[in-house]
Amino acid sequence: MNTNTRSAGAGIEAHKLAFSGRSFEFFRVWIVNVLLTIVTLGLYTPVARRRTARYFFDHTQVAGSPLEFTAQLRKMVLGFLIFALLYLAFKIASDTGQTTAASIFILAAAVMAPYIWGSAMRFRLGNTRWRGLQLQFSASWKEVYLASWPIFAMAAVWVLMTFALKALAPEQPTPRPPAGPRGLPNPALSLPQVTLRMWALIGLGVVLSVLCVIRLEFNYKSLLVLRAGIGNQRGRWKPVYSDFVKVWAATIGVFLVSLLLAVGLLGLLALMLGASQALLSNVRGMGPMLAVFIALAFLAIVIGLIVASAPARAYREARMFQLIWNNVGLSQVARFKCALKTRSFVLLRLKNMLLTLLTLGLYRPFAKVSEYRMKVDSVTLHVKGGVDQLVGQLARQQKEGLGDALADAAGLDLIG
Amino acid sequence: MQSPPSPALIRARWFNGQSSRGRDVLLTLEPGRQGPALRVHVLDQAHAASRRFEHTEVEWPPVWSQHRAPAVVTVALFDAGSLEIDSPQAWQDALAQAGERPSLTQRMQTHWPAFLGVLLVAAIGVVAFYRYGTPWAAAQITRQVPLSWELSLTERALAQLDQGYLKPSKLSAERQAELRRQFDALLGRLGPELKRYPSYTPRFSLAFRSGMGANAFALPGGTVVMTDALVETAAKNGLSDDALIGVLAHEIGHVVHRHTTRLVVEQGVLNMGLGLALGDVSSLLSLGSTLLTGLAYRRQHETEADCFAVALMQRAQRPTGPMADLLLGIAAAREGQRKDQPAKKAERGSFSEWLSSHPDTRQRAEQLKAGQASGCKT
Repeated sequence: MNTNTRSAGAGIEAHKLAFSGRSFEFFRVWIVNVLLTIVTLGLYTPVARRRTARYFFDHTQVAGSPLEFTAQLRKMVLGFLIFALLYLAFKIASDTGQTTAASIFILAAAVMAPYIWGSAMRFRLGNTRWRGLQLQFSASWKEVYLASWPIFAMAAVWVLMTFALKALAPEQPTPRPPAGPRGLPNPALSLPQVTLRMWALIGLGVVLSVLCVIRLEFNYKSLLVLRAGIGNQRGRWKPVYSDFVKVWAATIGVFLVSLLLAVGLLGLLALMLGASQALLSNVRGMGPMLAVFIALAFLAIVIGLIVASAPARAYREARMFQLIWNNVGLSQVARFKCALKTRSFVLLRLKNMLLTLLTLGLYRPFAKVSEYRMKVDSVTLHVKGGVDQLVGQLARQQKEGLGDALADAAGLDLIG
Repeated sequence: MQSPPSPALIRARWFNGQSSRGRDVLLTLEPGRQGPALRVHVLDQAHAASRRFEHTEVEWPPVWSQHRAPAVVTVALFDAGSLEIDSPQAWQDALAQAGERPSLTQRMQTHWPAFLGVLLVAAIGVVAFYRYGTPWAAAQITRQVPLSWELSLTERALAQLDQGYLKPSKLSAERQAELRRQFDALLGRLGPELKRYPSYTPRFSLAFRSGMGANAFALPGGTVVMTDALVETAAKNGLSDDALIGVLAHEIGHVVHRHTTRLVVEQGVLNMGLGLALGDVSSLLSLGSTLLTGLAYRRQHETEADCFAVALMQRAQRPTGPMADLLLGIAAAREGQRKDQPAKKAERGSFSEWLSSHPDTRQRAEQLKAGQASGCKT
């Protein structure tokens, strides 16, 4: 029998998630963090991360109750220090030319990647509470490593690819290309010839790698939701792999369109200024300036790619957010629905990027708040049987903050 | 039953960590040894029950703003669950009454004067650190760096340059030998009081190359490279070998002060400190400040090498005037053909960089002529 009268259906209540933080307030949190980080030569970083997480959690209300971030500072600092020392050791090894040590570090990092991800998720969920109930991430290490198969598949693809390319490469003709000054082979002319078949093979490798990346994202996201829990309830996951592939395909489409637009716009600009002509006529007499010019052009291309890919990245983020928050839930008790508008999110991201650039980064906290608010406010939680019914037990506290520090380095943001 | 003197009762819900069902409680704050303690009175039991949490048993929530609090404030009691307080203002007032002293971070967060005060102190501290602290630390670390590391670095760098744009010198063997002889004579005058690192014994050698403009640069470990163009410029301006030897004295200064090694350390501190701190603001800002501070260090090095050159030339009883004329000559030649101005210099301690790092070449040339350089430690 259902005694809940708040909703007409089968006793289902709808709770809109709400973010009550304010940009300027968070700006002050952020500017204090920046200042103290500078003063302490970076040692304040874990405290800064904790304050940031707390600000967002404190102001995120789920069914009337805020989230709590309960990570202990001592553990976060310890994790940060361990990570900083590891990183320093790696930097010293690679800067002083100890290639063996450096490659051992890189190899270890690759093998450890699933472990890093797993501990980061464990840390993140294990230190989140809602109504006093602790979230858990209960995947075993075996499950984490099994879900990581695309990483190893991708490595295998590229190892095979190297061998196949060698086999396909045409025999280099014995007469060497004309030597450069002072008997050195001219690098521009000694590039190996690449045949059409080799290009096709490289293309295949890229496609396979992208599919692996998508699979990895799918595996990790589904494992995260399925092994997440609060109280005695476990996560529910509906999306399938092809859903992810579709989002990625659409993203690539958006990227190509924006790239075309950017290139077209730049070309138009150059034509209008007549700059191309003036530059070309000058190139000959420039000597050393040419190197600078090329370096600048390279920088412009990198920045251009970042800018041109921004809409695509925002698009992917929005679509992925919708896909996930429309298709996950908590066993039979709760469902999430998401009303995020892709267009608005992409436009917001572009506006934020522009303002961040114009203010030399001072706009960053405002950007963060506005994007987080748009995401959180778009989600509605539907609960069957009331939010009072969850029972569970306090699990053992997370042992260390190392996972968090490693996750930080791996680019997994605590917020978002 | 005892009650506190002014019983500020705050309504809250207590979640015990086992269930998402909250129980109504009343909170009171009591003075404790390390700070306010928290007493939780459970209301829904037949007999009144309460539990006291000491200051360290409570995760005190931060205050984000003086004028506004989140709609609901949560207080974590570690293993005893969490409290949700619906009237944050009453909570904050009670805290202040109970003698809670906000941390510095808290005050910086909620009071602008506190923030600006720390900002001022920090600005002074940071400037002092990068102005005095880092160079001092760099000198201490440089002391520990073995000569063999510098030599292997130089070997690699020179090999790379030779594969790149440097070409063998076209100077006659006699001319090279003559300059080398003067270089060695100059080194013979290098007394212990000119050495910054008493136990540092670099292997000095003079190398000639062509393929770039009028220039000379020092590589760590003692190799000094001079270009044909520099020798030609001196000849064109009708200057004696004193000009070239003065430039070499400047480069020897870079070697003796181990400027390349110092810069590696200084740049490392910059990248770590500024990169980590400003990376969150923007990589552009972080890169810019790192670049500018790095440039300041380089200018400092140039001044040191300058002072060293004057001192060494005086010991060798050679004039520094011709060197100044050479400097002006190169500057004039560059003014004449602006287009050929090399905008990028990869090498440490290059002589032409000395020109570009000091805006007023003329003034410095005059000081060199007078046998003194500004900013020298005496």
